[in-house]
Amino acid sequence: MRPAQSNTPQWIALASICFAVMIAGMASAEPGPANSRESAKRSGDQSQLASVSESMSVRFSDAETKEVPDFQKHVMPLLGRLGCNGRSCHGSFQGRGGFQLSLFGYDFKADHAALLDENSGRVDVDDITESLILAKPIDADMHEGGKRLDEGSWQFNTLYRWIESGAVANASIQTLDRLEIQPAEIQFDTDEEELQLTAIAHWADGTVEDVTELCRFSSNDDAVAAINENGLVHSGLSGDTHVVVSYDRAVVPIAVTRRVQVESSIDVPPRSEHPVDQLIAIKHAKLGIIPSPLCNDSEFIRRASLDITGTLPAAEEVRRFLVSDDPNKRNQLIEDLLDAPGYAAWWATRISDWTGNSDAQLNNVYPMRGAASRLWYEWLRVRLDDNVPYDEIVEGIVNAQSRQEGEDYREYCKEMTQACMPGNEEIFAARDGMPLFWARRNFQKPEERAIGFAYAFLGIRIECAQCHKHPFDQWSKDDFDQFAKIFQNINARANAVSKDSNQIRKELLESITDGKKLNNGELRKLVYRAAQNGQVVPFPELTYVDQTASARQRLAKQKKSKKGMTATIKVPEGFVLGQAEPVKLDKDPRSELMRWMRDADNPYFAPAIVNRVWSNYFGVGIINPTDDMNLANPASNQPLLEYLSTGFRDSGFDLRWLHREIVTSHAYQRSTLTNASNARDRLNFSRHVPRRLPAEVIHDAVLLATQSTVQSQKMRSTMSDMAIAADINQGRNQRNFALQVFGQSERESNCDCDRSDSPSLLQSIYLRNDIEMYQQLASKNGWVAQACASLGEAGPAAKDNPIKDQIARKADQARLQTIARVKRYLALNENRRESQRPSLEKNYVDLKKRLKQFGFETPSLRELLADPDSWQSVSRDEAATRRVSDSLESVIEDAYLRALSRTPDQEELAIAMQYINDSESVADGLSSVMWALVNTKEFIITH
Amino acid sequence: MRLHKTCDGVRRRDVIRMGLLGTGAVGIGGLSLPNWLQMAEAGEINPTRVKRAIFIELVGGPSHMDTFDLKPDAPDAVRGAFRPIDTNVPGVQISEHLPRLAGVADKFAILRGVSHTLAAHQLGREYVNSGSRPIPALQFPSFGSVVSAERECDVNIPPHVAIPRAGHGPGFLGLENAALETKAAPQFGRPFSVRGISLPGDLTVDEVSRRQELLKGLDRRFAELESNDQLLQGLSRFGEQAYAMITSPRARKAFDISKEPESFRKQFGEEAFGQSCLLSLRLVESGVNFVSLQLGGWDTHQDNFTKLKTDLLPKLDYGLSGLLNGLEQRGLLESTAVMVTGEFGRTPKINTRSEEGGRDHYPRCMFMLMAGGDVRGGQVIGESDDTASAPRHDAITPDDVAASFYHNLGIDPTKEFNSDTGRPITLVRNGTVIDRLFA
Repeated sequence: MRPAQSNTPQWIALASICFAVMIAGMASAEPGPANSRESAKRSGDQSQLASVSESMSVRFSDAETKEVPDFQKHVMPLLGRLGCNGRSCHGSFQGRGGFQLSLFGYDFKADHAALLDENSGRVDVDDITESLILAKPIDADMHEGGKRLDEGSWQFNTLYRWIESGAVANASIQTLDRLEIQPAEIQFDTDEEELQLTAIAHWADGTVEDVTELCRFSSNDDAVAAINENGLVHSGLSGDTHVVVSYDRAVVPIAVTRRVQVESSIDVPPRSEHPVDQLIAIKHAKLGIIPSPLCNDSEFIRRASLDITGTLPAAEEVRRFLVSDDPNKRNQLIEDLLDAPGYAAWWATRISDWTGNSDAQLNNVYPMRGAASRLWYEWLRVRLDDNVPYDEIVEGIVNAQSRQEGEDYREYCKEMTQACMPGNEEIFAARDGMPLFWARRNFQKPEERAIGFAYAFLGIRIECAQCHKHPFDQWSKDDFDQFAKIFQNINARANAVSKDSNQIRKELLESITDGKKLNNGELRKLVYRAAQNGQVVPFPELTYVDQTASARQRLAKQKKSKKGMTATIKVPEGFVLGQAEPVKLDKDPRSELMRWMRDADNPYFAPAIVNRVWSNYFGVGIINPTDDMNLANPASNQPLLEYLSTGFRDSGFDLRWLHREIVTSHAYQRSTLTNASNARDRLNFSRHVPRRLPAEVIHDAVLLATQSTVQSQKMRSTMSDMAIAADINQGRNQRNFALQVFGQSERESNCDCDRSDSPSLLQSIYLRNDIEMYQQLASKNGWVAQACASLGEAGPAAKDNPIKDQIARKADQARLQTIARVKRYLALNENRRESQRPSLEKNYVDLKKRLKQFGFETPSLRELLADPDSWQSVSRDEAATRRVSDSLESVIEDAYLRALSRTPDQEELAIAMQYINDSESVADGLSSVMWALVNTKEFIITH
Repeated sequence: MRLHKTCDGVRRRDVIRMGLLGTGAVGIGGLSLPNWLQMAEAGEINPTRVKRAIFIELVGGPSHMDTFDLKPDAPDAVRGAFRPIDTNVPGVQISEHLPRLAGVADKFAILRGVSHTLAAHQLGREYVNSGSRPIPALQFPSFGSVVSAERECDVNIPPHVAIPRAGHGPGFLGLENAALETKAAPQFGRPFSVRGISLPGDLTVDEVSRRQELLKGLDRRFAELESNDQLLQGLSRFGEQAYAMITSPRARKAFDISKEPESFRKQFGEEAFGQSCLLSLRLVESGVNFVSLQLGGWDTHQDNFTKLKTDLLPKLDYGLSGLLNGLEQRGLLESTAVMVTGEFGRTPKINTRSEEGGRDHYPRCMFMLMAGGDVRGGQVIGESDDTASAPRHDAITPDDVAASFYHNLGIDPTKEFNSDTGRPITLVRNGTVIDRLFA
């Protein structure tokens, strides 16, 4: 049972006001009190303006009190505080002991009914003390949940008085204007402080009441600030977090900070006038954090290239950047990167993540394998490349129509058939709408759409409210249901078309089937084949199903026949989250939804994308997790989030403005070096915190580092074979191995955590020993081959260069000896072979060394094992004897610039040179050096 | 001599640096095995018979009433379509569709009336995979990650393997204790290898070692930062381990189930799950400390009985009975702790959403299985009421079972760990060891 429809305006109003509560809470937190006592005093002064009712424990200490407690304001919160509606007790979906309350409360009607249900015996107005809500919780033996209150306590008296007065519920839901918490912010100095919170409820009816005893309290990090059930906060480690107070629909976070104490002096980096830095500096000052200095140019070009464009910078670009003495070169580089093809490619991949561009979920939406996902991606990429404002991009998705204005169904199908052919993606990208967002298999039910929509564009998780009041946010189950209704009439199934298209669709199908009757599978096959051959095939259309249309027609008929009759049609309605005015569903409500998101007051739309973009650059959002904005999970730096969100909106939702504003800040450009004050900080942007590169970026970086300059230049300019540009062929059931191992998003779960940036053993194994890695290092088009050619050395694939020599006889002896040994080894059984293998290998390596001293080549052990007699004669490797160390140095430098975007230091150079000189061939040596660079931690993380 | 200087014990990395157990070919310096033995002798390490564990997660929440907790006398609306059958333990009955398990009931203990309150898949899974009720501020580690952190393991073998995927992460114990996921399940009669584990033919161990030395020489930036950064620690650890594993044939042999004789292989059935059970046996035999397995599909809101009868129960029956028999045949049952659980039970009342009916999420009453190590098989612990709606007497909690599982593994469930923010956390916060399991 939900609150009656007639209540709607009130509770919706309440929702929006509760949001105001959050803002108010934040706002009052802004001035920044010097310490807890002062702020308590100040807040106390404020609330004395209104007359505050004394607390319940005073008013109800006397059993004879005449006051009647209010069901919504007192009784239900009290039951909540006592734990009755928790998920392990009567809030459980099965109830407990034959008695069920709504989880986390706020379903007053149902809760009241449950309490007064005669069968449950919870409330008995005739024999009050027999009421189980009194009898059970005072007796540990009788109550499975144990003893919860004392007879004669204020809690007992409250429940008693409520029953005595008739146990009535409120006629309608009352509106809580504001929950004021004192103090509004807490600053601790030691780990031994305690502070009591006070909660004052300001109701719309003018009453003001101390409800501290009725609130629920929790801490977001009890290592920094612990809070008990009475609202007593205890200080802990240095750092910052929030304690959260919940009452009625209000959820109010209170910031708690404890400064870092540092004895030694720390160099303070230069001050920055950048607005982002100034807002961060305010927070740092509060926490006693001194940020790290700026990173060097090598680190900067690498970091900015990888973060902005998802692309490893080319060696030549790095070289040029490092020698440039232009004081503005960093900002110039940022502009270049924002304009580079990698920017649009990488961010189309990211937006594809958030909007759920999943090939698996788009199966059979368009009659060509993989086409839908490709087209979706390209539609986004082109817009990012053109810097189309973010709200317009989203509008193209949210308000998407399948057909262009004025286009008929046949023209639409013709163009779509063309667009689906690989290489024709731009045809689709030129279209106004991108309806595929609505066509996904996991996005068909209204509830799925409510959850997925809120996730993609609002950065919130409302799924909790699908079943019960959101524990950390204002959303009730009814809010969820009303929101979901908005999506119910949008039909985007794979075989749907609008009414006027039916005939043409039929014709198109008939021309494919020759009128034969086929089952679905056969038909699909034929359509796929036809599309592949360029024959026009039918495409689905997104349609809006107005459920009132038929009723209206009926009514019109009636009106004609019976004049004067005034029947009305009930138009279904839904509600946009937190909005007071309903949306009528007799026409497509999506434009209304879009209008709401664009509104300057919308609390989610801009912050959601700002926070996600920020998180891309810092590895951590201003709100974390980035897709879970809720009242209890406030920003670590609200002014910063507000500044960027407002600025972004004022710029006309200009994404490049947003990127530029972030990456030009000192905060983004800080070094990884830590000092005593910021070593533990991971949330306040005081240093660069290394993160593992995203899956696609690693995939591409390995290729760019190991392929020849020509090859990698081609990749960079055309984005071919680049995973960040979605140019990797991936079947639905056979995803690219590397991308999977490194945690590419599957885009199916409505969670930013679908993408993983954790390291794993399998990743290390891949980079060290996967066949793909070896193939790239040994490729004819690889960097090793190119470097060898530039040194006049034999490449990795060609090692033979036979000549005769006088020492050949001795060498030949060794050859015969080895062949015999290998033959003996091969004659052993498998277990023995396993145990003999180490000594065989050792012998082989010794032999190889010996022969090499004299410039002789040895076939690989594998070759020998495959066929010992294939080693016909010893041959001398000429290449091994002529080395040009000067250019070898530059080749090593090139390897460093390619892989790590920096030059090697003297020691590193020496190690690499030594290794190559000790190697069997230059190719082997270089190959190992490149292998090692790609396997350093430095390669796989940001710095 | 104190082994544990800090609450979180010897850091995994230190142990690896201290010494690479086994493989003499691996030449990264330091002392190794003797060091550990000294500590063990000094009583710092609790010796136990149980060395390793296999954790089987029945993802989706299996119906307790149709598997191990049947109520033949319950009303039609709850009883369900299946009849109980006798097992090889007098008085113990299980579902008629688990005939093989009925034949090995003396090897495992059934826990009935296990109860908790988290009816959502994700939360329930976090709970039963860690033994601690999830809380928002931090993530509790999976059993496997705890074992991985607590137990020595040769570096050339992964300490913690998940087939095909891990049900739960390492939480505050950090990425370095995450499972090696095989990503795929082995197929009957086919060789199985985890990609990248075998060395390409023309590379010798010496060459790889030489190259590893080169890498060590070049990979020194961020050394200072590493002590304070989980990501860097994880990368180092995985790198060292990958190297050890690649240079030893041990791991790839362990993964190759086709090395098992046909007669042995057969008792696991031909399904991927049974073959995964076989693989888990080979892995623990080869020295892997913890293997977690998944069998999914138990979320039977609709067509509960058809799904169980034709698909899920035969898979479980073959796989698990094969595993218990196999462990015993190889003499491993006494040294391997086995635990089987879903995230919750299913509603006793059969819903009518589909023609056949289904059962919905029901954490208040569920079953779990324990075997191996010191667990005395052939017993039923706990009891549910007449309709399997609630525990009849005291509820067994996932925390209790977790405490018992750790106890069986020789790990003190009350041990304190430090979270990444330095917060002290008891391994199992609310559970007590179920003594009867081991009596």
